[in-house]
Amino acid sequence: MIEFRGVTKTYPGSERPAVDDLSFEVPEGEICVLVGPSGCGKTTTMRMINRLIEPTEGEILIGGEPNTRISATELRRKIGYAIQQIGLFPHRTIAENVGTVPSLLEWDKERIRRRVDEMLELVGLNPDDFRNRYPAELSGGQQQRVGVARALAADPPIMLMDEPFGAVDPITRERLQDEFLKIQQDIRKTIVFVTHDIDEAIKLGDRIAILKQGGTLAQYDSPENILTNPASEFVASFVGTDRVLKRLSLTRLEEIELGPPQGNGGLPRLPEQASLKDALSEMIGSGAERVLVISGEGRVRGSLSLDELRRLSGRAG
Amino acid sequence: MEFVPAGFVLLQQLEPRIMDWGWVRENFAEDVLPALVGHVYLSGVSLAIALAISLPTGVLVARYRKAYPPVVFLAGLLFTIPSLALFAILVTVPGIGIGPNAVIIALVAYSILVLVRNTVAGLDSVPPETIDAARGMGLTARQILFKVELPLALPVIVAGVRIATVTVIGIATIGAYIAGGGLGQLIFDGIDRLFPTMIITGAALATALAVAADVGLLLLERRLRPWARRAGGQG
Repeated sequence: MIEFRGVTKTYPGSERPAVDDLSFEVPEGEICVLVGPSGCGKTTTMRMINRLIEPTEGEILIGGEPNTRISATELRRKIGYAIQQIGLFPHRTIAENVGTVPSLLEWDKERIRRRVDEMLELVGLNPDDFRNRYPAELSGGQQQRVGVARALAADPPIMLMDEPFGAVDPITRERLQDEFLKIQQDIRKTIVFVTHDIDEAIKLGDRIAILKQGGTLAQYDSPENILTNPASEFVASFVGTDRVLKRLSLTRLEEIELGPPQGNGGLPRLPEQASLKDALSEMIGSGAERVLVISGEGRVRGSLSLDELRRLSGRAG
Repeated sequence: MEFVPAGFVLLQQLEPRIMDWGWVRENFAEDVLPALVGHVYLSGVSLAIALAISLPTGVLVARYRKAYPPVVFLAGLLFTIPSLALFAILVTVPGIGIGPNAVIIALVAYSILVLVRNTVAGLDSVPPETIDAARGMGLTARQILFKVELPLALPVIVAGVRIATVTVIGIATIGAYIAGGGLGQLIFDGIDRLFPTMIITGAALATALAVAADVGLLLLERRLRPWARRAGGQG
C-alpha cells in the first residue's frame, strides 16, 4: 500500500542525511509504527509520505503509484493527518474543525453535518455537547480526540499520526490507545504512526520500523519478532532488558491453550482479556503458582501455571 | 515683576465668554458639522489607504523575513518626522501642494509603522502547529492565509488599527494649518479670533471622535474572536 524505495532526505545545509536510503513496505490495513531515538528521522520519514517534506532521492509509492503523480494538496486531502500538538483551528468550532477536509472536498452541508456527528461519536464525544464549542473549551484529551476525528473525517484510506497521544497524561493516553485500537478494528486504515515510546510501538504496531541515528532502518518486523530476535545490539538495547516481559504483555490469556481448572477457590482469578504479563505479575504478587482464568460471563475457563508461563515465554524466546 | 504665563492672561481676559453655546447653535450646520465631517473624511481615507498599503506589506515581510527590518526602519523614520515639518515638506512637493491631499499623505505615513508591525505580530502569533495541520490536511497556501492566518491575526491587526486611528485623529487637527480642513480648522480659527468657544468645540469633538473610534474598534476586536471569550477549558 505504501512503499518506500531508496528514500533519502538531506536537509539543505546539512552534510549528513536525516533519512538514509530507506526501503520498506507498509501493507494495506496495518499499523506501522516508526520508532527510534530523537534525531532518527522518524517524523521526516512520515512527513515525506504526504509531501510535507520532499525526499532528496528515491520515491514513495502509494497504491503502486508515486505520490508525486497528483498535486501535494490533492494528495494530502486523501491522507488523514494527526499530530501531537493537535493544531486544531482555535477560531473554528469543533464541528468546523472536524469538517475541514470534507468542506475542502466540497461535500454538501448535510453530508458534512452527518459525518461530523458520526466522527465525534466514534471518538467518544457527544456531538450535542461538543459540536458548537471552541477548542479552547476542551481538555487536552478531548482535543486529541477531536484531532483524530478530524483526521478521519474524509474517510482517507491512509492515516499519518505523529505522537497523537503524546501530550496527555499516562492514564488518558492508555485509554486513547485502547480506543484507537478498537476503532482500527472497524475501519482498517493503513496507518503510519510515529512515536519515541517503544511500549506504545509494541502495543499499537502490527509492524514496527526501528530507526537509528542517521535515519537508517535498524529492523522492520512484527513486535513479536523484534522482541524475540532483535537484529542488533542497538535494537536489543532500544527495546530494553525487559523484553521478555514486553513479549508476555503482547499475548492475552484467551489466546493460549489453558490447563484444566485445578486447585481450590483460593487461587487468584484473572479475566481472559488480561495479558500473560498480568498473570505473571499476579502470581508474583500473590505467591500462587497458578491463576484461574475467568470468561466474560464469569465462568472459570481454565488455569495457567507458572511452569506453563515459563514455557510460553521460553518458546517465544 | 511677577511672571504670569501668556496663556493665563489670555484666559483671564476671555473668562466671561469661554463657552458661548449660542455660537455653537447658530454655526452648527455651517461650521461645526462640516469640520467634523471633514475630520472623519481625513482620518477615514488615510486609514483606508494606510491599511491597503500595510496589510499586503505586512503579509509579505512576515514571509520574507529579511525585508522586515528595512521596512520597519523606513516606516519608523517616517514616524519620527514631526508632523508640522512633514506637512511643510509635503506642501512644497509639486503636485501635492496645500490642502487635504498633503494631510492624507502625512497621516498615511504615520500609520504605516504600527499597522505593518501589528500585521506581522498578528501573523507571528498564529501557532505553527495550526499551520502545519492546515498544510497536512491539504489547504492551499492561499487558503491557509485567508482561512487560518489572517482570521487568527485579525485581533492583533485591529489592535494596531485602534492605535493608528487615535493617532491619526489627533494629528489630523494640525492639518488645518495647511488648509486640510477638519476640526483643526475650528481650533486655528478660534486662536486667530481669540474665541475660546471654537477652540473648545474643535478640541472636544476631536477627543470625542477619537474615544468613540477607539471604543468601537475595541468592541469589533472582541467580536472578532468569539473563541477567546468562551475559553477556559475544563477537565
